[in-house]
Amino acid sequence: MKLVIDEKRCKGCNLCTMVCPYKIYKPGKKPNERGIVVPELDRPERCPNCRLQALYGRTLCGMCQMICPDQAISWVDEKPGEKKKVAIEF
Amino acid sequence: MTYTDWLRADRLPHIYCAGCGNGTVINCTLNAVVQAGLKKEETVFVSGIGCSSRAPGYIVTDSLHTTHGRALAFATGIKMANPALSVIVFTGDGDLAAIGGNHFIHACRRNIDLTVVCMNNMIYGMTGGQGSPTTPRMALSTTTPYGSAEPAFDLCELAIAAGANYVSRWTSYHVKELTRAILAGLRTPGLSFIEAMVQCPTNFGRRNRYRQPLDQVEYFKAHGMLVEKVRRMQEEGREIPPDTIVLGELARRNRPAMGVKP
Ligand SMILES: Cc1ncc(C[n+]2csc(CCOP(=O)(O)OP(=O)(O)O)c2C)c(N)n1
Ligand code: SF4
Ligand code: SF4
Ligand code: SF4
Ligand SMILES: [Mg+2]
Repeated sequence: MKLVIDEKRCKGCNLCTMVCPYKIYKPGKKPNERGIVVPELDRPERCPNCRLQALYGRTLCGMCQMICPDQAISWVDEKPGEKKKVAIEF
Repeated sequence: MTYTDWLRADRLPHIYCAGCGNGTVINCTLNAVVQAGLKKEETVFVSGIGCSSRAPGYIVTDSLHTTHGRALAFATGIKMANPALSVIVFTGDGDLAAIGGNHFIHACRRNIDLTVVCMNNMIYGMTGGQGSPTTPRMALSTTTPYGSAEPAFDLCELAIAAGANYVSRWTSYHVKELTRAILAGLRTPGLSFIEAMVQCPTNFGRRNRYRQPLDQVEYFKAHGMLVEKVRRMQEEGREIPPDTIVLGELARRNRPAMGVKP
């Protein structure tokens, strides 16, 4: 699975940048077409959910998703043919 | 099932300002509701008026968005008419403790089987930032332009004194703990009161030196102290820093309750 921020919901508050133990979220630099500076993802494949959420059938950690006041963070399945990216970092 | 199944996706993004803590409290509450195994058809969300009180509008279950301060009165009516329902109240500090103060103490006294989640942003958010009964001393608001001169209410102490069976306080930073507290509240018969300290970047934060939503959340993180530690320090005669936010389970007891699920 892969970690995505829904650009239609995100309001650019950067609360997610505070809680991730892997520091995957970095404050963004450019406003999107809605004028919102959405955070950038630094190697999101390091999030354990990319590798294990489907296997365990539940969300691990989940701090970013819980604190995101705009319900903008989720994990989605890769599209057919899309390369799966996972990384293990201790 | 996950908590996102309880959201009205067609109503999102919600109306809250960027970084408003209310959205986080919705996440935690719905997570607790899912963990408690509640059914959508048997759960009702009730609220008064305020930014916080708009929360039920983003949830798929039946709900009542009532008049300012009266959420607990409506919730009491629902519970008395049909105790089989799980009734969860979203309220704000102004809604609960200012105009709704009497309903609050009497719902606690009657110990009605409700779960009350108060999003305490220490301000009237919706109406533009007037001081509320929980605005801290010296804090700036449109009605306290030189700093509030009044002592603030401690909502948890109030709930305990009035008789609620379960009382807890957490903040929008402590998402896992807050979820656990709401779950414990849902499982405790009688009135469960969970105070969630939240940031209001627009009307509280920007007047009180929190330039970004993150700054106030960092403050909650730095100034929160577990109640167990506070009590230990008091026993040892050590001084508790004046701006400490006491966190954790503050009361759990078994007083007679009304409207308990059969
Ligand atoms: C009877 C009545 N009096 C006053 C108001 C105006 N009013 C609307 S919201 C509000 C205060 C909301 O404060 P709070 O409950 O803390 O909610 P917040 O917006 O901070 O989440 C007030 C005074 C009203 N709607 N109805
Ligand atoms: S679930 Fe945890 S590890 Fe994964 S991105 Fe979110 S905060 Fe980081
Ligand atoms: S917490 Fe949510 S809304 Fe805020 S910046 Fe991160 S993804 Fe966007
Ligand atoms: S005014 Fe304050 S409480 Fe209301 S939505 Fe904005 S940040 Fe949230
Ligand atoms: Mg308020």
